[in-house]
Amino acid sequence: MSMLVPTPIDEISNIHRRAREAFFSGKTKSIAFRKAQIAQVGYLLKDNEHRFIEALKQDLRRPESETILCDLAGAYIEVRSAYDNVEQWTKIQKADFNLNFFAMSPKLKAEPKGVVLLIAPFNLPTFLVFSPLVSMIAGGNAAVIKPPDQTPACSALIAELVPQYLDNDLYHVVNGGVPETKKLLDLRWDHIFYIGNGRTGRIIAEAAAKHLTPTTMELGGKNPVVLDPKCDFNVAARRILWGRFLNCGQICMAPEYVLVQKEHQDRLVDAMKEVYASFYPEGPENSDSLARIVNEAHAARIKQIIDETKGTIVLGGDADVSKRYIAPTVVRDVAFDDPLFQDEVFGPVLAVVPVNSIEEAIDFINSGESPLAVYVFSTDKSFQSKVFDNTRSGAANANEVVITTAIPGLPMGGVGGSGYGYYTGKQAFEEFTHWRISIDNPSWADKIGFGFRFPPYKPSKMLAMLYPSLPPRPAQGKNSKRASTKSGAGKL
Amino acid sequence: MSLTYTPLDEIPNIHATARRAFLSGKTKSIVFRKRQIAQVAWMVKDNEQRFMEAMKADLGRPYQETEFFDFGIVYGESRMAYDNIEKWTKEQAPDFNPNWFLMKPRLKPEPKGVVLVIAPFNYPLFLLLVPLISAIAGGNAAVLKPPENTPVFSALLAELLPEYLDKELFHVVNGAVAETTKLLELPWDHIMYTGNGRVGRIVAEAAAKHLTPLTLELGGKNPVIVDPKVDLEMAARRIFWGRTSNAGQICLAPEYVLVPEESQAALVSAFRNFYHSFFPEGAKKSDSFGRIVTEAHAARIKNLIEQTRGTIEFGGDVDIAEKYVSPTVVSNVRADDPLMEIFGPVLAIVPVKDIDEAIAFINSRDVPLAIYVFSFDKALQKKVVDNTQSGAIMMNETLVTAGAPGLPVGGKGPGGYGYYTSKYGFDQFVHMRVSVNNPAWVDKLALWFRFPPYTVAGGKKIRSLETPLPPRPTDSESSISNTWVVLLATAVAAASSVAVLRAMERV
Repeated sequence: MSMLVPTPIDEISNIHRRAREAFFSGKTKSIAFRKAQIAQVGYLLKDNEHRFIEALKQDLRRPESETILCDLAGAYIEVRSAYDNVEQWTKIQKADFNLNFFAMSPKLKAEPKGVVLLIAPFNLPTFLVFSPLVSMIAGGNAAVIKPPDQTPACSALIAELVPQYLDNDLYHVVNGGVPETKKLLDLRWDHIFYIGNGRTGRIIAEAAAKHLTPTTMELGGKNPVVLDPKCDFNVAARRILWGRFLNCGQICMAPEYVLVQKEHQDRLVDAMKEVYASFYPEGPENSDSLARIVNEAHAARIKQIIDETKGTIVLGGDADVSKRYIAPTVVRDVAFDDPLFQDEVFGPVLAVVPVNSIEEAIDFINSGESPLAVYVFSTDKSFQSKVFDNTRSGAANANEVVITTAIPGLPMGGVGGSGYGYYTGKQAFEEFTHWRISIDNPSWADKIGFGFRFPPYKPSKMLAMLYPSLPPRPAQGKNSKRASTKSGAGKL
Repeated sequence: MSLTYTPLDEIPNIHATARRAFLSGKTKSIVFRKRQIAQVAWMVKDNEQRFMEAMKADLGRPYQETEFFDFGIVYGESRMAYDNIEKWTKEQAPDFNPNWFLMKPRLKPEPKGVVLVIAPFNYPLFLLLVPLISAIAGGNAAVLKPPENTPVFSALLAELLPEYLDKELFHVVNGAVAETTKLLELPWDHIMYTGNGRVGRIVAEAAAKHLTPLTLELGGKNPVIVDPKVDLEMAARRIFWGRTSNAGQICLAPEYVLVPEESQAALVSAFRNFYHSFFPEGAKKSDSFGRIVTEAHAARIKNLIEQTRGTIEFGGDVDIAEKYVSPTVVSNVRADDPLMEIFGPVLAIVPVKDIDEAIAFINSRDVPLAIYVFSFDKALQKKVVDNTQSGAIMMNETLVTAGAPGLPVGGKGPGGYGYYTSKYGFDQFVHMRVSVNNPAWVDKLALWFRFPPYTVAGGKKIRSLETPLPPRPTDSESSISNTWVVLLATAVAAASSVAVLRAMERV
């Protein structure tokens, strides 16, 4: 495994300063400049696809198809989306017409926040670096990227290529582990974008609090699947297992557990066995279509979960920590208090949880933190609505898992324990900009309308005329209040 | 006047009640939300006199200032939310995309849950009820924490809110540091804090423990640039009004004025004229001038006035017992003067050489909430806009954008982050929930290649669906930066000079 060269700690403040100076030089104001940089991100990846594919093979033993589909495709989509839309996003907007204020030309414009920090996780180090980076560039910011230290080949490649393709003063890569990240967090940023887990997220949010820095938290979640017994179990099994075993289970949007009515658990397991055999005709360990866990520590962690589960392993279950190999595993008859539910597994282990009813399924989902996604397999609209309307999550997807991250126009983001803020698309652009508002009040405004505002104040009807009419008073009922007999000033 | 504080052990119960009420699902109904929004407005309208008297008691605030800044803005917000909530909460579809439309991709704003709104003493009606309206529009439950140093107002709100709004969803918690600390220990789905940076940090640190998203609306230190060619009378009147409203206790208020040295005297003279025209019998006797919120704050301002190294042109009188600070103008103020942080009716004038020095001065300090430019010169206006940062930038006006529907109020840097009012306020309190619905047959037609075992044919199919890149930038467009080219050139030059030297040695 290649060694990742960490950025010297005392270089880090220089990098921060250079990015800041570059931002204040004003060169990001030009939309043409931003578009060129965005396009360059695309070519950084395109020109070097094979090197990225190789690097991710080294770091994660990830099959080429998965890298293309999960790590690269999403970045290209973001490049295109930002390039095509940045003019519209950065245009000056007029506030909706309002009689009292229109003469002042009220306007809004999206302005860059300044110098932003991106801390990316190990599972999709290309997508989760370059997609947010593109949004940051579109917003006119300077950026410092901290790629994950657990994927040394990919992160070294990123550090090599960024200076070759992008402006050297505005965009920087800082590599390293905990000490380097700590140093970064001591500095003052205009926004910190973090993708990872809740524990580290809290540490980062606390560091950001000291500088009053706004943050985006893209965290994980134990994403549930609720299965309608009437749905096509073959389709469901295939999509669910695909989502769970992709990138060897290391995807934040992956389904972690399936809630199925207990009379139908056998049928589901049978369907999954068939799908499993079709995915890995020569067994998973010999398959070219299965990635590996990022490092031995995580592999050991997942192995322990498998060893401790009180459910019954029906598929997989074996592990070879030294090879970072965890077999794609399905466990049935998992109870609500199983060790599998302590944390996000973030590995290729799917729990099947038999329940008595859809209500029980919903209650269990709501007993935990709000996940990134809730999945329902059903063609019955009312079944879908029942689950979605009674749960909370970043995404609510029917008959599909994971893939929605790639859909242009759908922002990625969590709620509650799965985080806040967004990446991809216009919503990501808005994370990295602030609305600067402006007005221009002609001198004559005071003569015709606003003159009454100056002391000495005289009781005036002018003010009440500026008030909009109120919404109608709700009819008498539990929460309405009878108008007081003493009416206040300002009544026309 | 003493305010009844909410008992500390009541506070977690209030939070639990609000949460239970939210989870009951009653806020899902848009009709329900609209009724509650209307009720906020009527709570104010039915009790205007009581609210005006409360602000007079707490802040010495003239009735008209309460009407203009508090009532007008709350009514405007209620109208806007009531009229637009269907549009804001509608499910949306992203732009058509041939690869994905079959999956019916959608986005819908969903409530975050139970939100906490903490407001400061200067405009507590506005700063509590406007976020409350946004939170209600988003379908949330809310707990309001009014300021303890406006006891008459805060008691009044605690009395009226339960009479008008749903008692389980919406609550008032009154108190000071202990009660606020207790509130901050609980897990909220969003916290909106308006106040100062010191407490803002404390709120942010508490929020971090629960990964709670935040809106922070913090201080101002707002500069004014006066172009000597502008209508000085118009400028002086609007600036002086912005500085003396609410006795200077407005986060958007102009704090210091940058003007060329030669014009300082004329500006001072104009301010002096408006002092007399605004307060013909002097500010202390005027019904049109407020008071400082507490004696402690009055003493603080007195201290700053005594320490200034500038020239007090007029005013400078403080009566701590009366909480009175006279409208004061100080000229010849330099960058390091204690007066540069005030929150009182004291206007500092900082003489500068020219517009460039004014801009440099602004940029050397924290990003302000607002920058005010008094000039008719479009080029000068543009120069300021293009070379500074701020939450708002206003030409020939102060303050009023807070009341303009559709223009959010929000800071940057030490001024905070996030927004309130209009759709931007609504957006703070919702999260976009995305959804798709994938019909079964799509795998056969379009996405079959994603399943293992991966094949060459599948790989080709993935490639064929790839998004085409924008055109590659030309060398001049891209910043395959000068640094890189220079390095390369240097390396080549170095290599060739070594070669030359070697060649020379052999000769």
